[in-house]
Amino acid sequence: MNDRNRELKPFVEAPDDDMIICRCEEITKGEIRRAVHDGMFTLTEIRRYLRTGMGLCQGQTCTKLVKSIVARELGVKPNALGSATGRAPMRPIEMQILAKDKGE
Amino acid sequence: MKHYDMIIVGAGPAGLSAAIEAAKRGMKVVVYDENAKPGGQLFKQIHKFFGSREHYAKIRGFQIGEKLLAEASELGVEVVLDAIVIGIFPEKEVTVKIGEHVTHAKGDTILIATGASENMVTFPGWTLPGVIGAGAAQTMMNLHGVLPGHRVLMLGTGNVGLVVSFQLMQAGCEVVALADAAPRVGGYGVHASKVARCGVPFYLSHTIVSAEGEDHVTGVTIGQVDANWQIIEGSEKHFDVDTICLAVGLSPMSKLCDMAGCDMEDNPAKAGFVPVVDEYGETSVSGIYAAGDVSGIEEASSAMIEGRIAGIAAAVKLGYLSEAEGTAEIEKQKAALGGLRQGMFAPGMRGKQITETEEGIAISQNLLQYGFVSDEEVERFPGVTHSSGIHPVMECTQNIPCNPCQDACKNHCIKIGSHITSLPSVDPEAKCTGCGMCVAACSGQAIFLVREDCGDGTAEITLPYEFLPLPQKGEKGTALSRKGEAVCEAEVVGVRTAKVFDHTNLLTMKVPKEYAMKARFFRKGEPV
Repeated sequence: MNDRNRELKPFVEAPDDDMIICRCEEITKGEIRRAVHDGMFTLTEIRRYLRTGMGLCQGQTCTKLVKSIVARELGVKPNALGSATGRAPMRPIEMQILAKDKGE
Repeated sequence: MKHYDMIIVGAGPAGLSAAIEAAKRGMKVVVYDENAKPGGQLFKQIHKFFGSREHYAKIRGFQIGEKLLAEASELGVEVVLDAIVIGIFPEKEVTVKIGEHVTHAKGDTILIATGASENMVTFPGWTLPGVIGAGAAQTMMNLHGVLPGHRVLMLGTGNVGLVVSFQLMQAGCEVVALADAAPRVGGYGVHASKVARCGVPFYLSHTIVSAEGEDHVTGVTIGQVDANWQIIEGSEKHFDVDTICLAVGLSPMSKLCDMAGCDMEDNPAKAGFVPVVDEYGETSVSGIYAAGDVSGIEEASSAMIEGRIAGIAAAVKLGYLSEAEGTAEIEKQKAALGGLRQGMFAPGMRGKQITETEEGIAISQNLLQYGFVSDEEVERFPGVTHSSGIHPVMECTQNIPCNPCQDACKNHCIKIGSHITSLPSVDPEAKCTGCGMCVAACSGQAIFLVREDCGDGTAEITLPYEFLPLPQKGEKGTALSRKGEAVCEAEVVGVRTAKVFDHTNLLTMKVPKEYAMKARFFRKGEPV
């Protein structure tokens, strides 16, 4: 996926581009497709660029959907994309609780 | 920091089973679960499970959960609820949010048994309130006693879609239709048949075009798809519904495995991104195991065995069990797992089109397309025979690993044999007494007792009935066909309820004898 010379087909607007894909962060299909053409080829990049999967559900709803959109745009199979890096906290948590973590 | 021999993330069927095996060997085990109730998905499963006796066949899912939980607590397993594992770090350290605090714990071994989450599909209106996962609907109904809606369309005919559709009807919802983009019903035929005979139409090769509504779902349009999954113009059908349930598969929740540094693979055969595990469920990180749906989507029954294997393997690793003993125990579990992974729905059969049963009988195509076996097709299966007295009619037409009916009959009328996936057949020599044990024992609700000719122009059909309120003896109503269409008037001549039937009531209805092999369900009220 890190081959930045990958040739993409030109971006063509689609009738369902305004469909929300990531509900928590309200990111549309068009924004995700656009991001691929902006050079975001991995799910981690897409996530940092758009915040898909960074909301309350932490990607439980949209991860697979985002993956299929990005894969289609790149012309690869979804399972070639791998996944975005998993890191703590795995679930949304209040900052005040996290801040009190004394390592005990 | 707390220290355990084994830390288990997820108190579902895999996690609890592993905890039991590990604790049995003297290990100090903790199980963390983010939910308020333990048991994972088991506590939502109010239907009877398939399998053989050692796989908890004909026991309802939530009762299996209760058994596991009781066994775990007897063995001293610490089950911590509302405990969210938010991170996993080197040296097998986990951070857990419990209440308002984050605590740290270390385990000599860790089992990740976090299960799966529901997939979604997009269509215009998919974010409207009223579009929910089928699992969510099940949680609302069966855990919280809340009706998800009144009129429901189900998308997906896998076992989740079929089972939840039936449960929605049991809860009092109207299921207007089942739709699936696939050309064939994906789940067990017997689950489909019990939904179809209630009158629910199946639309295969159909998907949702759009959901309608301003601030909540008020309707849905489905349409037929062509070979390229595009909607065929003019094929659209509209339903007034307030709820759309999506049962379009599950994805492993494997992020913790990824974070722990386990080698991962994106494997479509396992339905997603999963840790690579060996035969004991151990990941590439020594001492970290994964079991259940997190390492590949399967059934709860196989998750329990995978959990047991991981628990035993961890006990061997830490020296609580000798290698020889452990190997022997694991071999037993593997044999049980092998028993479950047989038949037409085994993991290895995914995507394959099956045309014949193991017995060489042509599969019911009507079942795959419309959810019910046609009157003509049903006659070719070994469970369907005719005789003068009362006799069982087993409309079991697919090879699935399940055999409680064989043991249920004290007179040995029913034969499956030693091969658990074989279709049940009727022994013509054995005498049926009409006790009904087989009807109640069949997890697929596919066994009927039929007296084809009572001598007065009528026939009597005894069927499994799991709806409330129960019809009363003497009540008149309508007999429905396998398709759920009204075929004739019917009178209830008996309703049997017994503890041993475990809430499967046996309803006996009298119909004109020409409908003996056609009438398969009873509905209150006159034919419409």
